[in-house]
Amino acid sequence: MKIAFIGLGIMGRPMALNLLKGGHDVTVWARRAESMQPLLDAGAKGAGSPSEAAQGNELVISMVADAPDVAEVMCGVAQAAAPGLVAVDMSTIAPAAARQIGVDLAAAGVDFMDAPVSGGEVGAVAGTLSIMAGGSEAAFARAKPAFECMGKNIVHVGACGAGQVAKAANQILTGMGVLAVAEAFAFAAKNGVDRGKVREALLGGFASSRILENHGQRMLDRNFKPGFKSWMHEKDLNIVMQTAHELGLCLPGSAATAQMFNAMVGSGMGEEDSIAVLKLLERLSGQE
Amino acid sequence: MKVGFIGLGAMGRPMALHVHRAGHDLHVWARRPESAAGLPATFCATPAELGRRCEVVFTIITSSADVETVALGTNGLSEGMVPGSVLVDCSTIAPDAARHIAAKLAEKGIRMLDAPVSGGVQGAIDATLAIMAGGEVEVLERVRPLLECLGQRIVHIGPNGAGQVAKACNQMIMVAAIEAAAEALRLAAASGVDCAKVKQALAGGSAASRVLDVMGERMVKRDFAAGIEARLHHKDFGLVLEAARKSGVPVPLTATVAQQLNALMAQGWGRDDTASLLRVLELA
Repeated sequence: MKIAFIGLGIMGRPMALNLLKGGHDVTVWARRAESMQPLLDAGAKGAGSPSEAAQGNELVISMVADAPDVAEVMCGVAQAAAPGLVAVDMSTIAPAAARQIGVDLAAAGVDFMDAPVSGGEVGAVAGTLSIMAGGSEAAFARAKPAFECMGKNIVHVGACGAGQVAKAANQILTGMGVLAVAEAFAFAAKNGVDRGKVREALLGGFASSRILENHGQRMLDRNFKPGFKSWMHEKDLNIVMQTAHELGLCLPGSAATAQMFNAMVGSGMGEEDSIAVLKLLERLSGQE
Repeated sequence: MKVGFIGLGAMGRPMALHVHRAGHDLHVWARRPESAAGLPATFCATPAELGRRCEVVFTIITSSADVETVALGTNGLSEGMVPGSVLVDCSTIAPDAARHIAAKLAEKGIRMLDAPVSGGVQGAIDATLAIMAGGEVEVLERVRPLLECLGQRIVHIGPNGAGQVAKACNQMIMVAAIEAAAEALRLAAASGVDCAKVKQALAGGSAASRVLDVMGERMVKRDFAAGIEARLHHKDFGLVLEAARKSGVPVPLTATVAQQLNALMAQGWGRDDTASLLRVLELA
């Protein structure tokens, strides 16, 4: 399939590479020209703008930072769109923003789908991302061969915006999950108990989870390199809290967790992995 | 002096009347003209027209977007106000929005103060509001005689936006205190103890406060008719959390109280008093 891929950061680059590996004809664009080079070396074509990238392609995929970036990119795409073009945004943005972009693009004859991912850089490289899609059946059918090159667990969640709702729910679970593991570890340590042994014991029981397994191990190793940067988790939890505010939805656990991430960003830990919340807990309880 | 007033709600109306009673020539504009009914004022067709006629204009309306539209929009104040005239915005809006509006008006030589108030409807009626001013000192001094018609405690906090920061701090402390009062009285009731007696006893001790006095009384009497509509506190908490996020300052208690306010909104109690936080606790 002829695919345009826009945004070649930590996530976007390996995702686009996997599309090339899957035999697709890929055109790329990124704001910084040097980000495009690895893809051009691997056989992709380069474009001078999002609008140029969209020309002559059946599918456009974007993977950028935040809602204003998505809106800007998609505005360019709409200018060059042939009728029936499908545009998929795989960034994490607010559900309401995704719905608005969907409405705007529909006016230009573009079928828009939100399809945020979970699984991080590791999942992007391995092509094992979880993909949560929101949009029409037709758009999902068009994008599915591309999704299959980038991810494993691919779910069409519902209408436009539904993918972002699922992603926000994912960030509630991972945010609180990381904090829960960090608190359990702080609790064990303050009681003079070996956290490694605690982790080992718990992995056999009902509290077992991928977060306890993977993030827990990195906490034990005190390996705070990202992974998933805490400022990005803070941004995602802010989407959750803003949406809750607008809907009149009481989310006390998410609110407390968001404030911990807020404190991390404020105290200069934003570039570290979100598991560095353990260090914040240790500082608060004098465990440093 | 020719003074304009925009925003003639529960707060704005008594404030405008105080300005009139002090002998000033009152001009008003309202989105719904009927809200100006019965006011001893000249009604203007647009904010721009009001701005053209007045030396000082007060606004007290709901959101950052509303103030921006009235001040900077089509037929807005900035199209009418002359250089050297002053906009005093008494609304509670985001500090960033206040700074932005002040900067835009300054391009036309129009001066602005952010001057949010605390004290509620009763304070507006009694002219006992606390006024937190952000902007230049000389501008504040110029309008001080007008502000003195509205309140007794007028404090210059700092440059534009500083008044709104102070108001955000005010809301954090006040609504958290309302939640604390609700939780305490809920615990008293659940323990089979007379809430009125508890409140009476606490009023003499270290936990005494105006919130316990006023809002605690409403809780004891289960009078949830608005003094202050809870939806406004809900709106303010959105602003506070956004400001905290931009500064990277953790506000764990504020964030928790905000969730209780979200629950309150979900129950459809947004137009009732914030004392309804007691009713949220009773849901669980």
